[in-house]
Amino acid sequence: MGAVWVYAEVTPEGPQAAALELLTKARTLGADVAAVALGPGASEAVAELGAHGATTVYANDEPVFADQPGRAAAHTLHALIGQHRPALILFASTYDARDVAGRLQALTGSTLMANATDVEGPTRARTEIFGGTKVVDVDLAGPEPRLVLVRPRSFVAEPSGGTATTVPVEVVIPGGATASVIERHAEAASGPKLEEANVVIAGGRGLGGPEPFAMLQELATAIGGAAVGASRAAVDAGWVPYSFQIGQTGKTVKPEIYIAAGISGALQHVVGMKGAKRIVAINKDADAPILRIADIAVIGDLFQIVPALTEEVRKRATS
Amino acid sequence: MSAVALVAILATAVVVFVQRASPRWALIRDARPTARTDQAGVRARRELTQVLGQRKLFQKALPGAMHAFIFWGFLVLFPTIVEAMLAIVNPDWTLPIVGDTTWFAFLVDLFATMVAIGVGIAFYIRKVQRPDRFRGSHMDEADRILLTILSIVGTLLLWNAAQIALGTFAHPSAAPIADALSKLLGTGQPTETLERVFVWAHVLIVLAFLTYLPKSKHMHIITAAPNVYFAKNGPGGYLAPERIDLEGPEEDMRFGVGTAKDLSKKQLLDLFSCTECGRCQEVCPAWNTGKPLSPKLLIMDLRDHVAGIDPAAMAAGTVELQPLVPNAVTDEVVWDCVTCGACVRECPVDIEHVDAIVDLRRNLVMAESRFPTEAGTMLRGVEGPNQNPWGQPAATRTEWIGEIPVRVLQPGEQAPEYLFWVGCAGAFDERARQTTQSVARLLNAAGIEWAVLGPRERCTGDPARRMGHEYLFQMLAEQNVATFAEAGVQKIVATCAHCFNTLANEYPDYGAKLEVVHHTELLSHLIAGKRLLTTPAASGSVTYHDACYLGRHNGNYDAPRDLLGASGLTTTEMERARERSFCCGAGGARMWMEEGGDARINDTRFAEAAGTGAETVAVACPYCFVMLDDAAKAAGSEMRVADVATLLAEATLGEPGT
Repeated sequence: MGAVWVYAEVTPEGPQAAALELLTKARTLGADVAAVALGPGASEAVAELGAHGATTVYANDEPVFADQPGRAAAHTLHALIGQHRPALILFASTYDARDVAGRLQALTGSTLMANATDVEGPTRARTEIFGGTKVVDVDLAGPEPRLVLVRPRSFVAEPSGGTATTVPVEVVIPGGATASVIERHAEAASGPKLEEANVVIAGGRGLGGPEPFAMLQELATAIGGAAVGASRAAVDAGWVPYSFQIGQTGKTVKPEIYIAAGISGALQHVVGMKGAKRIVAINKDADAPILRIADIAVIGDLFQIVPALTEEVRKRATS
Repeated sequence: MSAVALVAILATAVVVFVQRASPRWALIRDARPTARTDQAGVRARRELTQVLGQRKLFQKALPGAMHAFIFWGFLVLFPTIVEAMLAIVNPDWTLPIVGDTTWFAFLVDLFATMVAIGVGIAFYIRKVQRPDRFRGSHMDEADRILLTILSIVGTLLLWNAAQIALGTFAHPSAAPIADALSKLLGTGQPTETLERVFVWAHVLIVLAFLTYLPKSKHMHIITAAPNVYFAKNGPGGYLAPERIDLEGPEEDMRFGVGTAKDLSKKQLLDLFSCTECGRCQEVCPAWNTGKPLSPKLLIMDLRDHVAGIDPAAMAAGTVELQPLVPNAVTDEVVWDCVTCGACVRECPVDIEHVDAIVDLRRNLVMAESRFPTEAGTMLRGVEGPNQNPWGQPAATRTEWIGEIPVRVLQPGEQAPEYLFWVGCAGAFDERARQTTQSVARLLNAAGIEWAVLGPRERCTGDPARRMGHEYLFQMLAEQNVATFAEAGVQKIVATCAHCFNTLANEYPDYGAKLEVVHHTELLSHLIAGKRLLTTPAASGSVTYHDACYLGRHNGNYDAPRDLLGASGLTTTEMERARERSFCCGAGGARMWMEEGGDARINDTRFAEAAGTGAETVAVACPYCFVMLDDAAKAAGSEMRVADVATLLAEATLGEPGT
């Protein structure tokens, strides 16, 4: 049977982790394994790709692959497929690789399966449907190569200790309209992600406006490793963006400590934070439902309590 | 000579009509059947009231009059088309029965004038009033159609006028308008020529209109009557089951509507019946709060997509059909719907927008697993071990009980007269629990024998079904029906309008034989039968918000209002009340999704309630309760939101625990 290829995304910093995961899986499928690495960093990545199971790496370091995302890689891959006729190509489900896979499918007319969680053979892959509640095995029909987009972290990358031969690839780009990258903007990530933070401080309607969220952020900074979230009421009011929202229709968090400031504790919110180890609720309404599920209930004005708490945390941190 | 020309033109017109109509006819002929032929009496009655009587058109007075004038006019004037054709062949020929009678001459004159007045009203509405409901409709096409209609009756009146002038009209005094027009014409040769010109013009315009019809929105003159006949009987909240056969052959598997070939006959007929009047758009909560969904545009977009398909190629499978979502309508449009049914209720030709949207959702969810991600928590909760949308522990379903004497039915025990179906919101949501407790106290006060299922209760499946997850719904329905059978449940009282609708209307499809009542109905009935003695001790003003799934979908408008009266409260109605109530925004599983657009539906509705100046807004469904209470808090309003049962319990039994 034909070879199994892995579309390996590379940067000058090295190959992406998902490429190594896919190679690890590809080794088990009983076929020759090759990687395709296109763009700056391709040549340097050959050794590591080889060490994870690729016996051949089709490589090209041209910056055009980074400058014309999707298009350049898809056409180059298409030409490469014509020469070597692989049976299956695996892609990681990333923004760039999805772009490449979609364009490639339009060129080859072969089967493309998205959102796979496992690859069980050259013609069979697994996916989840109904919001992850049902697992389905899918037989891949149609002409080769079959294309499968696999969710990152579906497999654990393990080195095989092998080495790969490098095969240079010719860049193929048709004429006509192109889209190219004109600017790159890196979003500075501040603090841990809401879902991963050990301490979450969430604000609700009781904050009364967007400004007091700075007060919560100060407390988070003082604690260190803490993230700020919000109830739906605060998000709906437009005080903080939806990415802050904790609850039924927002994020689910399970921190060690959850501090709820000015949150009444409607069911919609509780669903998203009931898994917290310790819940501290600060609320001026002694009847607020959140106080019933809180380990520590502080009844009072959050505008006094939160700054005092921040002060105390800072004091203890320095002493 | 004239006869030959007429026959040739008539034959050509008919051939062209058939040719132009046949692609749409073929689509309907080959489509999936809809079981809509039962209860012929009910359907026939609807033809009388809704088609002949124009009932739904008269939901708006002026547009109703406009349409009725034109519609009734054409019913009466139909024989004149035949008469005109006969007169072309031989001026002395007339129809039997009606020809040359005084009364028919009078009717023709009257109704032709009424049609002209109707056209005038239509232009007044479209050019002067310019209601927003026409946004997105084809205005030029409408103008063309109206002018054609005007020219049909215009040439008819002029033809009659010419006959009067020539003295060949049997009863000039019976046709005062044509008679007045005849004064403009002489008696000589020019008028004889004009008489021929008018009669020919009349027939030619009618036949040209016939050939124009099939691909225009005016095709409703042919499709509307059958569309009304095949409309859904019974409660609007009922959804027909989707047969899911995972083991059957792949060709038979159908998950909702994915491409044009999945549409049913009725759904296609819906598309070809739309006149773009926009009454649905005007009442749509999504459209009114700045979302992309308009029921009218949904139907138009589906129609335009389907009309572009070659039916023969589709039947032969030689054309690759594009998915309707996102090619005809976007994902957003499909998910914006609250399934409130306001559009369906307004639609004069009984288009079923909501069922079509649910069918599109079924395909997105079951075939593509594509839906707003935030709703996944609800689906997992409903499917998960605790089987409720919030994923709360099933054991806490009885937490609301507190000190209230409540019988929790144990496995193996037989149910008493009533099973009180608490519902997930009623069991877990802080606010809805007040309603549950109030109903429990009132049932005890009335001396009813009742019990709850406690931890054995599970979601009815309504939110999953409205999301399109038919498979999950059917699983829950079967499990619940088995629980009812095992406990010998015969009567159920439910506080949630959504549970009520599902249990009462949809569970019979899964073998349930139940008498299901909403708590407002039961309490009202108990009061009427003097089993529940009430004290009108409450004072103050209240406005009642009709829940869609209680009111519009199930026709219960009065019981909640009766209970408010029995509590001693003065009711002030909102402008949009009863059949025209405006949704709280939670139906159609929207409760579990984030909301876009310019405004939130619950805020919009709450503002309307607050605008009445009442102290309290009363609700009869936990979804409405949560949505309106959230809106009250967001608005910083002092207005209270409470279930009618809580208001009644406070008036009659005093505060809880007293």
